[in-house]
Amino acid sequence: MVLEKKDTRNIWEKIGDYFSANSIWMKWYCTGCGAIEMPPTMTSRFDMERLGMGPMATPRQADVLLITGYLSTKTLRRVIYSYEQMNSPRYIVGFGSCTINGGIYYDSYATINQLDKYLPVDLYIAGCMPRPEAIMNGFNALIEMIKKGEANGWRHYQENYEWYKKNQLESLGEVIIKDEFHE
Amino acid sequence: MNSTNNTLEQLKAALSPLDAYIAADRQIAMTVNPGETMRALTFLRNEGFAQLSILTCIDWIRDNDFELVYILMNWEKGIHCQLRTRINRENPVFDTATDIFPGARYYEREVHEFFGIEFKGNEDSYKPLFLERWDSIPPLRKDFDPQAYSDSKFPMRDRDKIFKSRTGGADNE
Repeated sequence: MVLEKKDTRNIWEKIGDYFSANSIWMKWYCTGCGAIEMPPTMTSRFDMERLGMGPMATPRQADVLLITGYLSTKTLRRVIYSYEQMNSPRYIVGFGSCTINGGIYYDSYATINQLDKYLPVDLYIAGCMPRPEAIMNGFNALIEMIKKGEANGWRHYQENYEWYKKNQLESLGEVIIKDEFHE
Repeated sequence: MNSTNNTLEQLKAALSPLDAYIAADRQIAMTVNPGETMRALTFLRNEGFAQLSILTCIDWIRDNDFELVYILMNWEKGIHCQLRTRINRENPVFDTATDIFPGARYYEREVHEFFGIEFKGNEDSYKPLFLERWDSIPPLRKDFDPQAYSDSKFPMRDRDKIFKSRTGGADNE
């Protein structure tokens, strides 16, 4: 993904970015082992609240979507569904090597290898899994990116929607969620 | 003689299995003919092995066999029993155990999805359970190649440079 370095925001967008960077609501999708790194990051030991970040119950009210680990094709359908419910500006943070290149599941028939083919990832946190220190570091970087207006993944998704949709359909077949328990 | 031994002797006398031994502490393993399996399951359930913990399958591709494994639990004696049976790999059709253990409904569905074994009498077993829109041979068969499937569906990231680990690690510095 090519991020534009030139700042083309007007004054109101700059003010909006400044405020949204200091109060981030996040929704994390507990797909893999990364989910277990979130409780220490959120609670008193590392205390994410001091960055102004807090958990949110639904994707409709969240700003950041955290993908915490490997994604099976079945889960990716739900993640795309959740992401498209979110309001702009919306950001995605990918955790660990599984979202970057498949990690130890590189040859699995059920998990995808590269998340940014399907959804625009603003920030990757490397590690298997990243420790809470790395996660806090990543959140600091995300806040700086939002303040500078560099976290433009959601805009990239809007502009290149056909490319993302083509990749999604190639790997998933369809992005329709079937739930047999409510049929 | 402890109770595991007693139970083993009792099961041997009643079922005359092909093979029966104590696999581990408080675990009995038995192999029976496919035709005998339903009778053995009924007998075991009536003997107190009332819980079907899991039904799973092993693909013995060199023997051209699928091995079905029913793991049963006896809560009164605290003993597990693995009941194993081998069916032909070419035409994998078997009888359902849902009449004896209703909970087998989902296990049979899972085995059908991952190994392609049909269970006659369980209508649900033909429905997909975990894999949505699966478009290849059942994935836990040994002749399925997960690397080739992954490469065809989920392409790897293009890299400028491929980093390889050196043998010896820190000694090599």
